[in-house]
Amino acid sequence: MHASQINGLPVVTVQGGEDVAEVRDVIYSPEAGHLVGLTLNKRGFLAGRRREVLPVAAIHAIGRDAVMVADESSLALPEDAPDDVAHPGADRNVVGDDVLTVGGVSLGTVRDLVLLVGSAGEVVGYEIEKAGGGRGYIPLPAQLAVSGSALVVPDITEEFVRDDLVGLGAAVDDFRARLGLR
Amino acid sequence: MTDSFRQAAGRKLISRTSAQDLGTVAHLLVDAQRRQIAAVVIGRGKKARLVDWSQISGFGPDAVMVSDEGALRPPADDRERLAADGKLEILGQRALTELGNAMGTVDDVTFDTGTGALVNLRVGDRELPAAAMLGSGSYAVVLADHGEPLT
Amino acid sequence: MDAMNWLVLVLIVLLLAALAFVVIRRRGRAGGVFATKPKP
Repeated sequence: MHASQINGLPVVTVQGGEDVAEVRDVIYSPEAGHLVGLTLNKRGFLAGRRREVLPVAAIHAIGRDAVMVADESSLALPEDAPDDVAHPGADRNVVGDDVLTVGGVSLGTVRDLVLLVGSAGEVVGYEIEKAGGGRGYIPLPAQLAVSGSALVVPDITEEFVRDDLVGLGAAVDDFRARLGLR
Repeated sequence: MTDSFRQAAGRKLISRTSAQDLGTVAHLLVDAQRRQIAAVVIGRGKKARLVDWSQISGFGPDAVMVSDEGALRPPADDRERLAADGKLEILGQRALTELGNAMGTVDDVTFDTGTGALVNLRVGDRELPAAAMLGSGSYAVVLADHGEPLT
Repeated sequence: MDAMNWLVLVLIVLLLAALAFVVIRRRGRAGGVFATKPKP
């Protein structure tokens, strides 16, 4: 599934069947390759932010229609949560980032993160809008550096841009091998 | 004997001692963790009253027999007030798996009329054992995942 | 300008203000996908 599908999902307690919050931001670690947590809004069309955050360890499951937690105590106050989740860098939203190779070639722009279904928020790659137009996917270990403006990738990433998720799955292992990360 | 929530809706409550008509079944409040009917809700708003399952002497196909009018009590906490306002009605409630995927809506719930224990939930064209129910509230009924096909 | 025109003008201004409020609130709820800061 895609990270952007998680934004706006209700956070529902398994025991209580109650929608206690809504997902605001999805926060991931490019180095670790997985989600670290979510920030929250209150439920309601015009409602504001919620102070509490949701570290990934407290998430029971992420589905198509809801993020499930055991109960409301799964939500953590910012002071009790890891700093990465409590205070995401405001300028580190990767959507729209330019994807640049070390050699200075733009492969496109980041549209989304691709997550492994049924995993605990494992990130497998990025969905990009290719420089020449159309949708592409690049495997995660790609980025050497990432900020709110750009994703810097090794030159060989250009060979690993795939057109679909099936291709991406196959590309991840090959790519890691090529980079000597096995 | 088993009965269903849909069939029980609107059934009369009668006092066993005075034969008085005490109201009609508006909602059945469920204890999801015990998989049991907790109470019968009659009336609405300020006039809503609850009858604990233990006060029901017979849940019959034509009437629900209650010991006497003293068995009717006003909502005692926030959850019961929500139930009285119909916010916890399980019929038509969204069904979600514990993995966060929608399954449809709860069309009916069957229960044992002697014990009040829930037997099955009908969600769309699927019949699920009550044991699959992990939680129930104002947003959804949460059901255990049993390897439903991923789309 | 007669009273009717005035009333319509006021209603339009109120409507625009309400719309602006809704747009600002909804935009405030928009979330993104954020990368964690690199560890030194």
